[in-house]
Amino acid sequence: MDCKEAVEKLYLYLDGEILTPQERKDFEEHLRICRKCCEKFDFEKNLLNLIKSNCLDTPLPATLVNKVLTVINSF
Amino acid sequence: MEKTKDQQKILFQELLMPELGALFRTALRMTRNREDAEDLVQETTTKAFSAIDRFEEGTNFRAWIFKILTNTFINNYYRVRERNKLPSLDEMEEESAFQPAFEGISPEQALLNTLTKEDIQKAIDVIPIDFKSVVVLNLVEGFSYKETAEILDIPIGTVMSRLHRGRKILQKLLWEYSSSKNSTEKGTKEEWTAKKQ
Repeated sequence: MDCKEAVEKLYLYLDGEILTPQERKDFEEHLRICRKCCEKFDFEKNLLNLIKSNCLDTPLPATLVNKVLTVINSF
Repeated sequence: MEKTKDQQKILFQELLMPELGALFRTALRMTRNREDAEDLVQETTTKAFSAIDRFEEGTNFRAWIFKILTNTFINNYYRVRERNKLPSLDEMEEESAFQPAFEGISPEQALLNTLTKEDIQKAIDVIPIDFKSVVVLNLVEGFSYKETAEILDIPIGTVMSRLHRGRKILQKLLWEYSSSKNSTEKGTKEEWTAKKQ
């Protein structure tokens, strides 16, 4: 796998999508030998984790649970 | 045997409660307003329970209720005028010229170090809705491309292209927010690299 193909596959790999076991293996092998792609992959992975953790950290308003239960019980 | 209303309520509640946090944060990113987000979740609950007979037990409840949430948002909360208020896509997708610059670390690491929760949420909030919905469902809530396609009723290829462009817009905004905080030593990525060499 060359850099162009690795960049095309990067998000698919990161998102856990559509790659065959052989494609995954080739991608991982390319990261082992290519510092530039490895750095790009690490950046994208860390950025994704940062986005995810900061968005998931949104507290549920306590009042919403009661409002939703009221909706269900109104039927 | 058909379930009684009370049995349906119990089942629905058991399925809904573990998803309530995810529904609220998704509603909040879409409406950009806590009050509207709470209303959207309540409305979604009403619609979902009204349609509970059409939900097949054992299938993907999470994807089913997120589909109701996104449809309700588009139909009842999203106005055409909001589309008109947004900057053009070309403008949003341009490569950002500004990169945070710090001595001793890469611009990418500087970006990761300076971003706050507010920056990230603000950036997601301003992404145009077609891209934001894919970004939130896929990147934040962890739905697969296939599930995202089913929730939004679009082909998988469209999910992939919107996600690609959504990521690009999001990164551009994040670079800009980060750079504006480091204006004392602001420069382009190229300038930073040249200085380092």
